[in-house]
Amino acid sequence: MLKTLEFRKIGKSYPGVRALDSVSFKAEGGKVLALVGENGAGKSTLLKIMSGDQKADEGEILLNGKPVDFPDPRAAIAAGVAVIYQDRQLIPNMSVMENIFPDNLPRTRLGLFDKNKLYTKAKEIINTFGLPIDPAEQVGRLNVAYQQMVEIMKAYARNADIIAFDEPTAPLTDAEIEILFDLILKLKAEGKVVIYVSHRLAEIFKIADDIVVLKDGRLVKLLKAGETSEAELIRAMVGRDIGDTYANLSRNESFGKVMLEVKNLTTQYLRGVSFRVREGEIVGLAGLVGSGRTEVARALFGVDAVTGGEIIVNGRPVVLKSPGDAIKHGIALCPEDRKEQGLVMGHSLRDNVIMPFIDRLCKKIFVNRSKTTAVVNDAVKKYAIKTPSIEKTVAELSGGNQQKVILGRWTSEMLKTKVLILDEPTKGIDVGTKREIYQTICDFAKQGIAVLFISSELPEVINLSDSIIVMNNGRVAGSLTRGEATEEKVLSLAMQEAS
Amino acid sequence: MEKTNIYKKYFSSLVHHKVFTLFLLFIVMVGVFTIWSALRGSSFLRFAIFRNILNSLVVTSFLAIGAGFLLVGGNIDLSQAAVGAFGGIILAAAVGKWGLPWYAGIMAALALCGCLGAINALLITKFRIPFFIATLAMTLMAQGLMYLISSIGNNGIAANINFQDAALKYIGTGMIGPIPLGIIIMLLFFIVYGVILAKTGFGMKVKFIGGNAIAAGLAGINAAMITYILFVNSAVLSGVAGIFTAARLGQGSLMALQTNQFTGITAAVLGGISFGGGTGGMAGVFVGLLILNTFQIGMGAVGVNPFWVQVFTGALLLVALTADFVTQARSRKAQAA
Repeated sequence: MLKTLEFRKIGKSYPGVRALDSVSFKAEGGKVLALVGENGAGKSTLLKIMSGDQKADEGEILLNGKPVDFPDPRAAIAAGVAVIYQDRQLIPNMSVMENIFPDNLPRTRLGLFDKNKLYTKAKEIINTFGLPIDPAEQVGRLNVAYQQMVEIMKAYARNADIIAFDEPTAPLTDAEIEILFDLILKLKAEGKVVIYVSHRLAEIFKIADDIVVLKDGRLVKLLKAGETSEAELIRAMVGRDIGDTYANLSRNESFGKVMLEVKNLTTQYLRGVSFRVREGEIVGLAGLVGSGRTEVARALFGVDAVTGGEIIVNGRPVVLKSPGDAIKHGIALCPEDRKEQGLVMGHSLRDNVIMPFIDRLCKKIFVNRSKTTAVVNDAVKKYAIKTPSIEKTVAELSGGNQQKVILGRWTSEMLKTKVLILDEPTKGIDVGTKREIYQTICDFAKQGIAVLFISSELPEVINLSDSIIVMNNGRVAGSLTRGEATEEKVLSLAMQEAS
Repeated sequence: MEKTNIYKKYFSSLVHHKVFTLFLLFIVMVGVFTIWSALRGSSFLRFAIFRNILNSLVVTSFLAIGAGFLLVGGNIDLSQAAVGAFGGIILAAAVGKWGLPWYAGIMAALALCGCLGAINALLITKFRIPFFIATLAMTLMAQGLMYLISSIGNNGIAANINFQDAALKYIGTGMIGPIPLGIIIMLLFFIVYGVILAKTGFGMKVKFIGGNAIAAGLAGINAAMITYILFVNSAVLSGVAGIFTAARLGQGSLMALQTNQFTGITAAVLGGISFGGGTGGMAGVFVGLLILNTFQIGMGAVGVNPFWVQVFTGALLLVALTADFVTQARSRKAQAA
């Protein structure tokens, strides 16, 4: 019987975001179906729904023609659906065989677990795939690729009919990718349904039969890998109506001297990154997740150790050993993860605004409360932060208002911020507030601040930045001006195979 | 009209304050013990008993202040009692064996305790050893050093060290009017530390690193340095507790503070400092300690078997912790929504 997994009109909303909107398609056994789309297109949400991690608001999933309901991941596993995520879900200090059979270890007559039988069973599976792995080896000692293989065998041992991969090749070398593809072809030959999520277009053409293109939560195109081209695929992923969100922004038109210059910056993650940001200029950093964008921010903010190259702020070379150093030199960072890295969630709006400059608000050693109140009220007024009181904890504010608290902090008059790094400032923020934040960023530029703007959303980077630097694999893959940048150009720079 | 509104406003903010709730609990506890002991024909509500309760707080209050500060900053020090006992032996050896004046003995004890705290901090901030392991190891090391020092000049046999010193005797047992000197010093410490935590920039930074060390670090706060200060402070205050114990007994005892390994942390948690760090104040710690000791002394006064008292003390801590976890879970839910 042909195995199938069908999605019918799947819909899912998060606060402020329509993650999936009436998505329908059918994956068939004996074929590899690739799921592609930009960051935020809805791929991960779809995987989470099929693995029982999240529940769809609308629509249904049919497994081999029968409707199924996965209230939790266990139900999905029991039904034979396995999703292999990027972060491997193995127990590193247990052996390969124990990881392959975590929930049905064979037992002896005495009820103790039968190591010999387990070894034989695991060896059988490993041989099926022709891998050189010892079942008794500790999983933590295997390299990343083999760990992934163990994960696949774990799914196989459970007799999973549906196996989905989330960006499986991201941590692998070329040779390891070959092994993975052999394995996927074996699964395919056995008639299993394989769903493959990846950013790398070349791979998709190599392994996939069908391609589903998602964009902003909608299915925009169903393609056959044999009948399409990379160019068509990129067009399908990108082509959207940008609307007039960006046209109405009041921008800064005049740039001053070079405020930030990075020469050949090298860290553990970066290999010779160079660029400049002038006063009043917005420079966008584009690239895929893991391409080194955030790492540039971390190096510039004194978090990651700089092993080579130079950082020049306002004409002077600086050494940044800690965020405190960076702040002293007028650099500010709005980090990627608001809740984990930006705010102390259980503390008040007041506390969160003054965090980087408490010392300057102190008379002798005591915090000057009335001055604090004035400074915080300034920020609230300037950014129209909606809150009943500055004593409210930031956990009680909406995502957009939380982001404004961080912006208010760094642009307070207490700090003389000259370089502002924004890492994904609009992540998880509703459309209306996004518009406000875009204008705010333009206003920073007007005040002469040099802005480094990192975002995964291509339209945002392209339309807001005066010039765009595309990162790929820890390097600068190319730079484009706003006039010449298109999503196609940025994507092809971001996705080109590292040489 | 206007007046009742203001009254309402202040009253409601007071009711929402953890310290107020704790103080109510204390009052209720006193009430229960008063009635209970009246039924047994004795009286609980007496000045002498309250003076006893406060006097019993003196030694542990220093542990509680150190533990409270650390806990607000998101860390725990299990080595407090051992470091304190070590400090007591140093003082006793300095005064009783080496003939140093009392103030030199105190300085030596505090300085050496501070060094042990600095080692704790170094292990935790520089080598990233979990506080649990680092301070547990320090407990063993401090105990070992204590035995070693007490055995010097005693044929290698570890023993308590007796000393006679008028100044130390006064520090341990002296009175100012009807109030023991120790109680006054304790209250002074609570006030000074309370003001530091609530009103100074340093205190705010402690709360920030306890609330979210990553975010605080990314806002330019030197979390490692603050953690350093807190561990040294905890060790020095443990030394103060050890000095008081020795001064009261006239002896550096190898068994000093032995039952107090968790007293500081217990009081801090009872006093409303959440295990997640970031919140709480010294007033809470004081009331937490007050409840702890009133509970224990009250139970003794009404004749409950001391072994049962210990069981009930454990139960009290459990209730406080459960309440803390419930409120934390609630605020997490609010954050997720």
